[in-house]
Amino acid sequence: MGKKELKVAFLLSLRSLQRGSRSSTLMTVLIVSLCFTNMIFLPGLFNGIGQSITKQVVDYEVSNVLITPRPGDQYITDLSATLDLINRMPGVERATPHYTKAATLKYGDRMLGVGVRAIVPSDEKYVSPLYTTMIAGNYLGDGDTGEVIIGKSVAGDPSIRQEDEFQPSLGGVRVGDSITIEYGNGYISDYQVKGIYATGWSESDNTVYVTMSDMEIVEGKVLDRADYITVKAKPGYSEKFIKDELQSYGVAEEVQTTADLLSKSMGRALQSFAIINMVSLIVSIIITTVVLFVVITIKTLSSRKQIGILKAIGVDKEVIMHTYGFQVIILAIFGILLGILMTSLLALYMSVNPVVTPEWSASLYLTPRDIITNSLILLGAAIVAGYIPAWRIAREDIQKSMRS
Amino acid sequence: MIRIEDLHKIYPMGDVEVKALDGVDLEIAKEEFIGIMGPSGSGKTTLLHMLGILDHPTTGKIRIDGIDIGTLTDYEKTMFRLYKLGYVFQDYALVPDLTVSENVCLPAMLRYDRTATEYIAATRGILQDIGLWERKDHLPRELSGGQQQRVAIARAIVNHPDILFADEPCANLDTENSRMVLNLFKKINEETGQTIVMVSHEDWHKEYFERIIRLRDGKIVKEMG
Repeated sequence: MGKKELKVAFLLSLRSLQRGSRSSTLMTVLIVSLCFTNMIFLPGLFNGIGQSITKQVVDYEVSNVLITPRPGDQYITDLSATLDLINRMPGVERATPHYTKAATLKYGDRMLGVGVRAIVPSDEKYVSPLYTTMIAGNYLGDGDTGEVIIGKSVAGDPSIRQEDEFQPSLGGVRVGDSITIEYGNGYISDYQVKGIYATGWSESDNTVYVTMSDMEIVEGKVLDRADYITVKAKPGYSEKFIKDELQSYGVAEEVQTTADLLSKSMGRALQSFAIINMVSLIVSIIITTVVLFVVITIKTLSSRKQIGILKAIGVDKEVIMHTYGFQVIILAIFGILLGILMTSLLALYMSVNPVVTPEWSASLYLTPRDIITNSLILLGAAIVAGYIPAWRIAREDIQKSMRS
Repeated sequence: MIRIEDLHKIYPMGDVEVKALDGVDLEIAKEEFIGIMGPSGSGKTTLLHMLGILDHPTTGKIRIDGIDIGTLTDYEKTMFRLYKLGYVFQDYALVPDLTVSENVCLPAMLRYDRTATEYIAATRGILQDIGLWERKDHLPRELSGGQQQRVAIARAIVNHPDILFADEPCANLDTENSRMVLNLFKKINEETGQTIVMVSHEDWHKEYFERIIRLRDGKIVKEMG
């Protein structure tokens, strides 16, 4: 098969598409584009959910590296020395402790069980964007006592009746209101709400933050311990690097990167996503293959006589086969391009209007690799679907073709 | 140029066999304009298809320029048709999606002994000769039957084939257009020495042929020269 033959095959296929049935061509391109969109949409959405969850876990839960007590220990002890050590290590932006205590909040006739999380507000700013999510009032200061910031879900909405609430809340607490907190150790105190935040991450929005100074009052002693420490890496340093450094510097506590934690907590969910993606991919490939197979079969069957004539005047069967093969490739390429355009528009729309649930918010997350991989898979399927009927019809006897 | 010996073609039709050709022997010399005539079902088109390597005989031999066609592979037959033969069909058989000029130069585009400049010039020359250069960008459906058949003839001769086969080229044309086509064949035959083998059932066409082969029931019953 030489250059001349390929040139003639391309000319014939191009002319057939240009001057043949436009509605059939447009319909085929549209179907291929919808199949492409179907192939890439679900994985893109699942990736978006995964990215959203990962970002929120990093931002509001564990940062880049999480240090938890050794197995069998309840707390990380000798906190000051441990923080000093970690904060001096290369690649560490800041390490900050967290200490959580179960408590019951009281506001009017409402009662709500939550975890009250003690933080060092100034350090927390380096590690978490919590301070940027205030929707009312202000963020905590290091020396604040008798003040809390509470999540939007905890504050609640006064316009929603208690029995209509999606999840229990304090029924509409506002900045400046006083709420009573009764800790598990029996300590009871009134706190003024300094600010209300909304992170969009359910776990965080159901939490109440106080300063470490306040928690020392609750515990009645200086706190040199924490439930866990979160560590933020400096730009350019990997989580793995920080983890290895921490371990090599003799940090004896359990050290885990975000990736370690996500693989444990989300491994099964990601597996489920992968299965759904695979099913969606296979269905799309089957639809595309069948559609293109039918289109080319109809084209070849309705052109049998013409194929016979072409063979009679000296056009080789391979040229005829490639004529239909090229048509499929062109249709598939245009379908894929339209699919990329449709998916990009969807991604743009969803970046402005993400899918929001109480647990996460997600938009379409597409990578060039996803687009290229899916394009090649679809193109491969299209080529197979087009060449099989073309090959069958091209090897038919001239007389049989001409008599059809 | 063409020599066929004891050619038989039998088509199975259910439980019976139809002898389309029943022992045909024939020789055609270079530069001849031959007419194959006879009633419907006499085997005219079958014989033309055998000569043009569009079908294969049940038994018998066909030699063109000393080459035994039966020994050629499928690909060699295709190349033989491309380089040595030209065809004109009853229903013009133009590619509907190609323009007049694209239809004409299509077989030439596939030949390795023709450059693009050569086949474009050849296409232009032929279309000017047959008076259709002005319609070179038209699609076949925009032409009359006579014009389409002239385009089909142009396509058949663009490669300067050794032999031109025409299967009832005037069957769908009125007398005026038929005469135009036959005059064109005559001109090609006289001016370029082109060998032409043409099937016809119109009696008045015989004035154009140098020799007439009459068939009946798959046998040559008469040769007139």
